[in-house]
Parts: sequence; structure tokens; C-alpha cells
Amino acid sequence: MSYTMALLLMGMVGGLVGVASNPSPYFGALGLVLVSGTGCGVLAGYHGGFLSLVLFLIYLGGMLVVFAYSAALAAEPFPEGWLSWTVAMTASSYLVGLSICWWGFFGHTDLRLGEGQVMGGWGDSSQLRGETGGVGHMYSSGGGGVVTCAGGLLLTLFVVLELTRGLARGTIRSV
Amino acid sequence: MTPAHFAFSSTFTLGLMGLTFHRTHLLSALLCLEGMMLSLFIAFALWTLQLNSSSFSIAPMILLAFSACEASAGLGLLVATARTHGSDRMQNLNLLQC
Repeated sequence: MSYTMALLLMGMVGGLVGVASNPSPYFGALGLVLVSGTGCGVLAGYHGGFLSLVLFLIYLGGMLVVFAYSAALAAEPFPEGWLSWTVAMTASSYLVGLSICWWGFFGHTDLRLGEGQVMGGWGDSSQLRGETGGVGHMYSSGGGGVVTCAGGLLLTLFVVLELTRGLARGTIRSV
Repeated sequence: MTPAHFAFSSTFTLGLMGLTFHRTHLLSALLCLEGMMLSLFIAFALWTLQLNSSSFSIAPMILLAFSACEASAGLGLLVATARTHGSDRMQNLNLLQC
């Protein structure tokens, strides 16, 4: 296993520790950016170039912009970073638990995976795998899935419109 | 269990634990949910790449579309609570009327 892949996987887990240790939402969104960026690198390292591109474009481009905008709603005058006491205690307890799990799983095995073994190594990345064409199946034989997804997204549009409607006619209007 | 397997299963578990324990903001809970969906996406994509089955790579795309649905519904709830309760703190949701 190459060092780059190990670094990317550690960045993934460390970014989610940063999200889960309950900082302010600004820093949580930053941790999620780290997780998605390193996850994109992980997928690219396992020859999944198209899926990593989809992850990068849709996730970072679409969702995190909306999350960063919504962080303005949750604004507070003194945001808690990862250096705050409770956040640092939570993060360090998660890290201790993770290292115990890691040691329990891998304490007695050799981590240098051989070539072609299960999910190990970069290999030569020049070859194009079938996953790009597999996504193209979505538009021919997987048409039902696309129609279901489009219906779900359309339903979500009306759900969001109903939730955020004003004038005391929306779904959540206690006042 | 390989390191990649450990990475995505531990990110899923971390997101679940962060969602369960001591959230202060609703937005942080939504961020934890997003982290769980992200680890599921990576797990599906790695499964596809591992099995070398091209037709299964539809599944991560559909999962990503449904996670977009979930995120937008959650953010709509966030906007609605910020408008009715004034902030998105989870303690505010215990109030019956404000």
C-alpha cells in the first residue's frame, strides 16, 4: 500500500473525526470538505476516475455550497474551533477509540499488501476501467432508476417549498 | 479487513456516533448525516471497482441523488426552524412554544 493512499485514508478518517467532535458548523463544513477531497483522491487511486470526478463536482460543487450558505443561518458570535476544550476532548477520545480498533484489527498483520490483492495499491493508472461505461448503463437499461431519482428530486423540491413557505401556511408554523 | 475497508467503516461509525452524541446545532447533525452518506458512497464505489462490475456503478450515482434529496430536505427543515425558533440550537427544539 503506497504512502499516498495511506495518507488519503488517514485524511478521510481524520476529517470525519473533525466533523463528529462537535465543533461549530463552519469548522464542521471544513472537515466535510477535507473528507470529500480525500475520498475523491481515494477513488482516483483505485482507478475510479469517473466516480471521483462525479464526487468532486456534485459534492463539493453542489452540496457544500448550500451547506456553507446555511452556515450563515447558524452563525454565532464566538465559534468553537477544534482547539476548544470540549471539542478537543471529544476528538481525542474518538482518536483513542479509532487507534484501539486499528490496533485490534491490524496489530498482528503485515500491511504491505501484494499486487492485485484486495483493494491494495495504485497499480498503473493509465487503463480506463469499465465504470465510465457502467454509468452509461444508467441511461439505457437502468432507466427506471433514473426516473425514480428524478421523481424523488422533484418531490424534494415540493417538500422544500412547503417547508420554507411563509405567511403561516407552511408545514412548520408554530407562530 | 483491509485499510480501505477500515477507513470507510470507521468513517460511517464516526458519523453515526457524532450524530448520536451531544449535538448543539442542527446543522452539525446534518453535517454528520452527510458524512455518513459520503462514506456510503465511497464504500459503494470501492465495491464496484473491486468487483470490476461495470453495471453496478449505477448504484453510487443513485445513492448520491438520494443523498442530495436528504440534504435538501434537512436544509429546508433547518431554514424552517431558524425562522420559527430564531436559531438552530437543538435545545430550542425542546420548547413547545416560543
